[in-house]
Amino acid sequence: MKTTRFISIALALALSASLFTGCSNSSSSSGSSTGSQGIKEEIVIAQNSDAKSLDLQASNDGGSLNVNAQIYDTLVVKNADGTFSPHLAKSWEQVSDLVWQFKLEEGVKFHNGEELKASDVKFTFERGLTSTISYMLDFIDSVDVVDEYTFNLNLKFPYAPILSNLSYTSTGILNEKAVTEAGEDYGQNPIGTGAYMFSNWKAGDSIELVAFEDYFKGAAPTKKLKYRSIPENTSRSIALETGEVDIAYDIDPVDKETIRSNDQLVLIEAPSLQVDYVGFNMQKEPFTDVRVRQAINYAIDREGIISAVLLGGGEVATTPISPKVTMSNPDIVGYPRDVEKAKELLKEAGYENGFQTTIWTNDNSVRTRIAQIVQANLKEIGIDVAIETLEWSSYLDRTSNGEHDMFILGWTATTGDPDGAMYVLFHGSSSATAGNKFFYSNDEVSELLDLGRAETDDAKRQEYYYKAQELVVEDAPLAALYYANDCAGISAKVDGFVLSPSKSHKLYGVTCAI
Amino acid sequence: MQGITSELHTGRAKKRSLWLDIGIRVIKNKAAMVGFVILAVLILLALFADVIADYDTVVIQQDLANMNQGPSLEHILGTDEFGRDIFARIIHGGRISLAVGLVSVCFSLVVGGILGALAGYYGGRFDNIIMRCMDIFLAIPSILLAMAIVTALGSSLLNLMIAVGISNIPSYARIVRASVLTIKDQEFIEAARAIGGNDFRIIMRHILPNTLAPVIVQATLGVAGAILSTASLSFIGLGIQPPAPEWGAMLSNGRTYLRSAWHVATFPGIFIMVTILSLNLLGDGLRDALDPKLKQ
Amino acid sequence: MYKYIIKRLALLLPVLIGVSFIVFTIMYFTPGDPAQIILGENATEEALANLREEMGLNDSFFVQYSRFIINAVQGDFGRSYQSNRVVFDEIFSRFPATLQLAGIGVLLSVLIGIPVGVISATKQYSFFDNTTMVFALIGVSMPNFWQGLMLIMLFSVWLGILPSGGYGDWTYFILPAITLGTSSAGSIARMTRSSMLEVIRQDYIRTARAKGVLEKNVVYKHALKNALIPIITVVGLQFGYLLGGAVLTETVFSWPGIGRLLVDSIKQKDTPMVQGLVVFIAVTFSIVNLCIDILYSYVDPRIKSQYK
Repeated sequence: MKTTRFISIALALALSASLFTGCSNSSSSSGSSTGSQGIKEEIVIAQNSDAKSLDLQASNDGGSLNVNAQIYDTLVVKNADGTFSPHLAKSWEQVSDLVWQFKLEEGVKFHNGEELKASDVKFTFERGLTSTISYMLDFIDSVDVVDEYTFNLNLKFPYAPILSNLSYTSTGILNEKAVTEAGEDYGQNPIGTGAYMFSNWKAGDSIELVAFEDYFKGAAPTKKLKYRSIPENTSRSIALETGEVDIAYDIDPVDKETIRSNDQLVLIEAPSLQVDYVGFNMQKEPFTDVRVRQAINYAIDREGIISAVLLGGGEVATTPISPKVTMSNPDIVGYPRDVEKAKELLKEAGYENGFQTTIWTNDNSVRTRIAQIVQANLKEIGIDVAIETLEWSSYLDRTSNGEHDMFILGWTATTGDPDGAMYVLFHGSSSATAGNKFFYSNDEVSELLDLGRAETDDAKRQEYYYKAQELVVEDAPLAALYYANDCAGISAKVDGFVLSPSKSHKLYGVTCAI
Repeated sequence: MQGITSELHTGRAKKRSLWLDIGIRVIKNKAAMVGFVILAVLILLALFADVIADYDTVVIQQDLANMNQGPSLEHILGTDEFGRDIFARIIHGGRISLAVGLVSVCFSLVVGGILGALAGYYGGRFDNIIMRCMDIFLAIPSILLAMAIVTALGSSLLNLMIAVGISNIPSYARIVRASVLTIKDQEFIEAARAIGGNDFRIIMRHILPNTLAPVIVQATLGVAGAILSTASLSFIGLGIQPPAPEWGAMLSNGRTYLRSAWHVATFPGIFIMVTILSLNLLGDGLRDALDPKLKQ
Repeated sequence: MYKYIIKRLALLLPVLIGVSFIVFTIMYFTPGDPAQIILGENATEEALANLREEMGLNDSFFVQYSRFIINAVQGDFGRSYQSNRVVFDEIFSRFPATLQLAGIGVLLSVLIGIPVGVISATKQYSFFDNTTMVFALIGVSMPNFWQGLMLIMLFSVWLGILPSGGYGDWTYFILPAITLGTSSAGSIARMTRSSMLEVIRQDYIRTARAKGVLEKNVVYKHALKNALIPIITVVGLQFGYLLGGAVLTETVFSWPGIGRLLVDSIKQKDTPMVQGLVVFIAVTFSIVNLCIDILYSYVDPRIKSQYK
């Protein structure tokens, strides 16, 4: 009896000890300490996934991008009106067709004290060309260092959207010394020039950043940032409402009204660069016939989807690129719902009695809901659609192999440039793996896209892209559904927060009152 | 008195009165009867599901204008996120749950039972190998197994049954093996062998019937477990495809609307709980009835 | 005793090998390309081919498996495909969250379950007995994830007094611990009750009472001690299972433990991480089983003598 008692007491003590160490290790969730000027010392942000890696070039998922946007800087920044402003690069010049010269700001410090040099840029881009984000830098052939703060970018082909790409978070500059020294562990020990430096990462839970005092634009007023990963949409909104977090990204449509009507909170909504669509595998019958594809386009109830699934948080899509992308064609009418016309087209194509097919989606709750509505819409015109939900890895793999019939996917034109919005999706040479899961090829469209990416004259570029969009909509390799609104919820006490259309929101200068 | 007189008759008559005894004991157990009645009602509802609500027009037909309505006269449990009647969907979902429960348990039972019986009867190295294999299976997380099966074969009802079934094989193997071990050394088995019965006959006619008691109890509880597993798999997105009205999937879909339309997630959950509860009550009752030590 | 322990640990090895082989086979043959997942939707064919070559994904099944075993034996499970962190570092950084939750859950269930079971057994068929057994049954029957959702709805959404998910100070532990604790408490209470009932009927209890031993001592010193074995089994099994990460509860409460890590890794085809986790969970579970068996020997000397 004594031994049993002893053992049970020992176990109980051990368990309680682990409990208390756990509790005391965790930091408090609301930065309630006073900073200067009556603002909070720490702002807490909730996002829908944990970062995968803080190595800027290792991953371009949302969770990583949001954090990396604070740690790293890009050469240029894109303004709301589409023009570009200097950032790390203080000036640039297109020296010849294939050569651009950039001059860096001098005296910019990395978080480890090293100064930003042209050699860092060369290192960054050369490493980037063999990394996950290589598609962003693919137009670069080589980088030449001219002097300490000047470098030349030698392009493979004339590339008009070069500055758009260089303004995107993923092309930010790394410190050569830090990366080479850290080796494989760099992803957990990032060094950048950004306003915030990395402090701590509790895997699966939160990442803490502290303001970089030597930031070249001046130290940020909010001294600490904490990014919490809360995958459940509703939990994230609840955390915002209870004040556990100050900012929450990607608010689920159902929670928008609650946040809007709450005095202590503000809902920020803005059109995004993303278009969501139902795509067709044009290699498989009956999607080889353009009339079938158009029929489906006419049958889908886009308004219904937007109101039922997005609860109004989106716009009906006409062209396959969002209006926020430059040179999106506003004159395209698209396919307003017309069930009769759909039936007619099907009949013309020889499918009067419809047919059976499948639609694939990944296990994203919004997409599965859309699939169900599309399924119901197509039933009306006699098409029997079976829904197959695959998880993401299978989905990417098998659609790349062309095993699908119809599929639901989205595309974000992260650079805000029409080339980024269309080339990978619609160019004949683009593979399914890269994005052309429609197996679409139209020589005229491909030519227009090639001309568009090389042309530096904006007016001519617009002509090419407008025409390309017209042709694509007519060919209907997809049924563009809607442009979703990006939305974030913030506490009413937060000041200076701006939603970035490329979804990597910079928090430099954002403060939260106590 | 009845038990003694029947001993003088053939073996068959003795068996019948034994089962009658057990049956009476179950009926006398009020809790078990409550479970049985609830279960019977659920099964009836599932069988007559088509009569209560037509699949095509009520269960899967969307009515987006009426989404997420609370309980009303027209829709006694309200509507879900696509405007479909929740009560109708729950009834049809009951079909799926009960089907998966029964089929997967039968599958595990048969395969596990055979493995366990063979292991227990032949013993030695054979027993060792089979039991080690069972250990290995137990160590693999059932989610991984389910996921493998679903991604390899597709997520259909049948594959779900197989996935749930396979992960439960070890428990039935264990139970049958344990029973077989206790029985095989008894005298009547030696006697059967002495008469010249071959192994197969001995196992089938003498050993297995006597392992029935713990197996029945485990099976009843197993159906409950299988229903829960199915719901869990659907909850994390590996289950049956929409628009099938599976309970776990309904719960998962309703999760998003917890704040504005809590009924969408609550009612399927209640049904899952009640089904499992009644199965547990019945299982408990059976266990008590079959427990030889409780013979008065 | 020590020989017994070592023998048990040695038996673990073939099981681990078998498990890792099956898991490897499953991961190998299910569709999904880790290279594609890492590089994302925008990857070029070239980049994918290069990455696959680098990761050694083009080698045959046996080459890949041998490579894995050779490394594993040296304790190197590689790096996660997703985060590139060393697999065991990642597991050990997320395990404390699971351990704490499991520990508190089991503690709660034992503190509630055993006393309730004992009292129910001594006062069989009383009002207390009937009511608590109904609650126990409900606890066992209620789906974890549903219970979690209902608790969140009640305490976070309507009352707003507890956080709805995530990991932080003690307030974050309350709801998940209750969710896990109640169903465990249910089974422990039921097992305690039935085990106690069995023991109480024994002759030696009657003897003790006849000898005039105080009822309190009869119950606790004699009956409970002898009833402990099945109870310990159940507690141990619950704890072992919870250590594997209660996936559903962790999902509902956004708890950063290894259960969620397992599901996410499986979905992302992060084979090194899945292998590491499965081995880790198998070893943990076996160690818990071993501890239970050792506990048995302290409770029942007859068992101790078998451990030679």
